[in-house]
This record gives sequence, C-alpha cells and structure tokens, in this order.
Amino acid sequence: MSMFGVLEVSSAGMDVQQARLEVAASNIANARTTQQNGGVYKPLTVVVRSAIAAAQGPAGTPTTVENLPMPSVAEVVEMNVAPKLVYEPGHPDADERGMVSLPGVDPVSSMLDLVSISRGYEANLRAFDITRSLLQRTLELGRNR
Amino acid sequence: MLNADPILALLSRALDAAALRQTVHATNVANVDTEGYRRLEVIYSAELQRLQAGGQAVDVNEAMAWAEAEPEVVESSETRVRLDQEMAQMAENAVRYQALIGAIERTLSTLRYAARDGREG
Repeated sequence: MSMFGVLEVSSAGMDVQQARLEVAASNIANARTTQQNGGVYKPLTVVVRSAIAAAQGPAGTPTTVENLPMPSVAEVVEMNVAPKLVYEPGHPDADERGMVSLPGVDPVSSMLDLVSISRGYEANLRAFDITRSLLQRTLELGRNR
Repeated sequence: MLNADPILALLSRALDAAALRQTVHATNVANVDTEGYRRLEVIYSAELQRLQAGGQAVDVNEAMAWAEAEPEVVESSETRVRLDQEMAQMAENAVRYQALIGAIERTLSTLRYAARDGREG
C-alpha cells in the first residue's frame, strides 16, 4: 500500500481546475464578441471525466489504491445557451431592427465559477501538501538516535 | 513488516489504514468536478463497525484481532463530494496519522532501551 500514487491524482485535479479557469476566463473576456467563425461567440464549458472509471465500465468494479480514479479534461464543448438580443442600432453587427446578438455569457455564474475553481485548486494543493508531509514524517521514522 | 512486536504490528496496520484514508480523501477532492463520479470511502467489515459503534470496553486480545481486519474502499452512500467536509476529514486523519507515527517512535525507543539492557546512549 502506498500513498505516492495519490500525489499524481492531486496534481491531475489541479490540472482540471486550471483548464476550467482558462475556459471561464475566455467566456468572461468574450462576453461581447459578436463575430467568431461567422457567428456570435458561444460560451464554453469543460467536461471532466475520470480516466479509470471510464475504462472500468460497469459500476461496482472495486476501486483499489492501484487504480485510483484520475480526473482529466475529456472535452471543451460549446454551451447550448441562446444569445442575448440587445438593442444597439449603431453596432456593425446589428440586424435591420437594430438588435445585436451578444453571447449568452452570464456574468454572475461566471464569477461564481471562478470562486469554485479557486476553491477546488486550493483544496487539491492542500491535499497534495498533507500527503507530502505525511510521507515525509514516515520517511523520518527511526531517524532520530 | 514490523511483525516482531505485536504492538508495532498493530500500530503499523493502523498507519496503513490512515494512509488509505488520506489517499481516498485526496482522490475525492481531485474528482470534485468529474462527471458521474461517486464519492469513495474506507470501511471495515460489518462486524468491526458494529464493535466500534458499540463503544464497549475490549480486552487486548480482542483489539489485536481487530488489527487483522482489512479496510476496503467502497462507493459512499452519499455520492456527492463536499469539499469542506472532505478537507475537514483529511485534516483529522492527518492528526491521527501523526499520532500513530509518534506512537511507533516511542515504541521503537522503548525496544531500543530494552535492547541496551536499560543503559542510556
């Protein structure tokens, strides 16, 4: 039985939070992007799957220290949200009625995402730290005298 | 590994269990955003859990028998990972782990003392 493997899982967890941060930042930065690949910018979201859980198939396969579920970013997908219509007749992308389609980015939920990302990252970092210090303590067993 | 002394054997098994708990908590935290992930937890056999819940006094031989029980990793009945709860349990387990390390150190130093016929240094 070993605790070393879990350090990798914790750092995979940090990678996932990093990817979520990039996507959240992109959504906030593109809140007013009206032209991208011929259409209005579509907000993105991250799909996280666990590598081993997927390979295991049916539920109930026993989890052991040897096959810990390792999270990873499976894909970044466009969210299925309708664009917001805003009346801005002077905008170059306005239609004949003066309405502009802005991306359906919800600023409040984007900010909440940032909070949860930062909490998730910190928790993984803390878990990594605790595991490391426990391993360190164990390696020092019997060292004194 | 530390089978020469029954106390050390008991302590090292308890240490293994604490290490397994740390592993499982860290895995839960890492998978907080994983789609379809079910929270994992460490359990002992039903018999042992009944004894632990009872809280009655046990003698040394019984405690030694407990040490033979193998902890298992299972999916928890509460499937959602709650970050704060997970971190609190991890901190508690870390204290327990360090206490066990301390106990092993003290047991080793007692044995060392005996091996030197009670002479210091």
